[in-house]
Amino acid sequence: MNLGAWLAQWVGEAPVLAGSAAVVAVMVGMAWLLGFRAKLMLSEADLARLADAEGAALAHALIAPDGRSGFARLSNGKVMIARVMGDDVSARAAPLAAMRLELTPGRLSAAFADLGFPPLHMQLEQAPPWLTELAEGLNKQGQG
Amino acid sequence: MAEPPFEIPPIITYAVPGFVLLIIVEMLYIRFFKKGGRYETKDAATSLAMGLGNRVFGIAFGGFAVLVYYAVYQFRLFDLGWTWPVLVACFFAEDLAYYWFHRIAHERRWFWASHVIHHSSQHYNLTTALRQTWTGTLGLSFIFWLPLLYIGFPPLMVLMFQAISLVYQFWIHTEVVGRMGPLEAVMNTPSHHRVHHATNPKYLDANYAGVLIIWDRLFGTFIAEDEKEKPRYGIVSQLGTFNPFRVAFHEWIGIWRDVTRAKSPRDALGFMFGPPGWSPDGSRKTSASLKAEWAARQQAAATPAE
Repeated sequence: MNLGAWLAQWVGEAPVLAGSAAVVAVMVGMAWLLGFRAKLMLSEADLARLADAEGAALAHALIAPDGRSGFARLSNGKVMIARVMGDDVSARAAPLAAMRLELTPGRLSAAFADLGFPPLHMQLEQAPPWLTELAEGLNKQGQG
Repeated sequence: MAEPPFEIPPIITYAVPGFVLLIIVEMLYIRFFKKGGRYETKDAATSLAMGLGNRVFGIAFGGFAVLVYYAVYQFRLFDLGWTWPVLVACFFAEDLAYYWFHRIAHERRWFWASHVIHHSSQHYNLTTALRQTWTGTLGLSFIFWLPLLYIGFPPLMVLMFQAISLVYQFWIHTEVVGRMGPLEAVMNTPSHHRVHHATNPKYLDANYAGVLIIWDRLFGTFIAEDEKEKPRYGIVSQLGTFNPFRVAFHEWIGIWRDVTRAKSPRDALGFMFGPPGWSPDGSRKTSASLKAEWAARQQAAATPAE
């Protein structure tokens, strides 16, 4: 297939693609109108259940003021981030060394290497002592 | 005779209105009967966007797979024409090729990087069926069908049965339909495919069938749905995003990062072609390790305490 034929194929498919996009928009709108838009709020019990699924217990936990995300230290030494995903929760746990943690006044940022689990940015009124200790410990390791 | 004696309709295009109608019916059923699964607007939007993106990437790169099909067909062992026995044989051969493609797409990270997209929703409904890869052709997933061309099945016949298989697999992505009696023995059904999409350790790495479940029964990968254990859907390391671009490319970028940081060529190959979750030190979880942990827990629970 030469470039001209390839471009002609795109031109031919353009109306179909535009129509498909419109149908997708209609179906998404319909899902929204039917009320499939739950707003789950994370609780400490949710984090405990997710920690249990990791074979650990919660050592410390922090839930964002909007209830949409959580950060926890687990009894097995790992850290866990949980994020509300519509009507469900997605969580990721990893050893502390496998994540990047940044604690600034009023804000916690935490990221795994995996692009499929975007970084957590959480507003904090005041960082609890365990979190400050965790971040300081990680910084010292980084410097060492 | 490579060309069909009849005009093959655009099977998937013709099926699309049916897909749309069934999705709407399923949404209404779940909304008004409060059973048969879950919908979430953002999740459905991502699944549908992935389906649309799959079409875009198909236009851009799908022709490459067809070219390779015709190239391999030049070296065919037999001249199999468009006769009824050949059509029946091709149906079974295509379904067998799909089984092995699908199984290896779960067992080897290179192919999983494309296929993970289809499993990335934590929901299981008809929109999940449309959550399709954007990188299948670029990831060379089509190579699993090349033996069929080499044997001598006409390329258009293989493509036709691939399309039929894809259309068949749409309706099995639902929790609305329960068990289907004697059909469960032979056909891939919603019940069998729910098991395939589940992340419960008990259900991992099972039911790779396309149309016929006989291949799983034959090759020892069949697991029946257990009414006592409801499937939990998604992937072992759930994604934390509805962003279609992150969904489409996260595993490829993960492979790239791992390979560029690998300490030896052996490790690099392991990151590319080992099982998903493989790592040189075994610190990450593979489905085999998850299953082993689960089996150990089951055994410990069954052993009476002294």
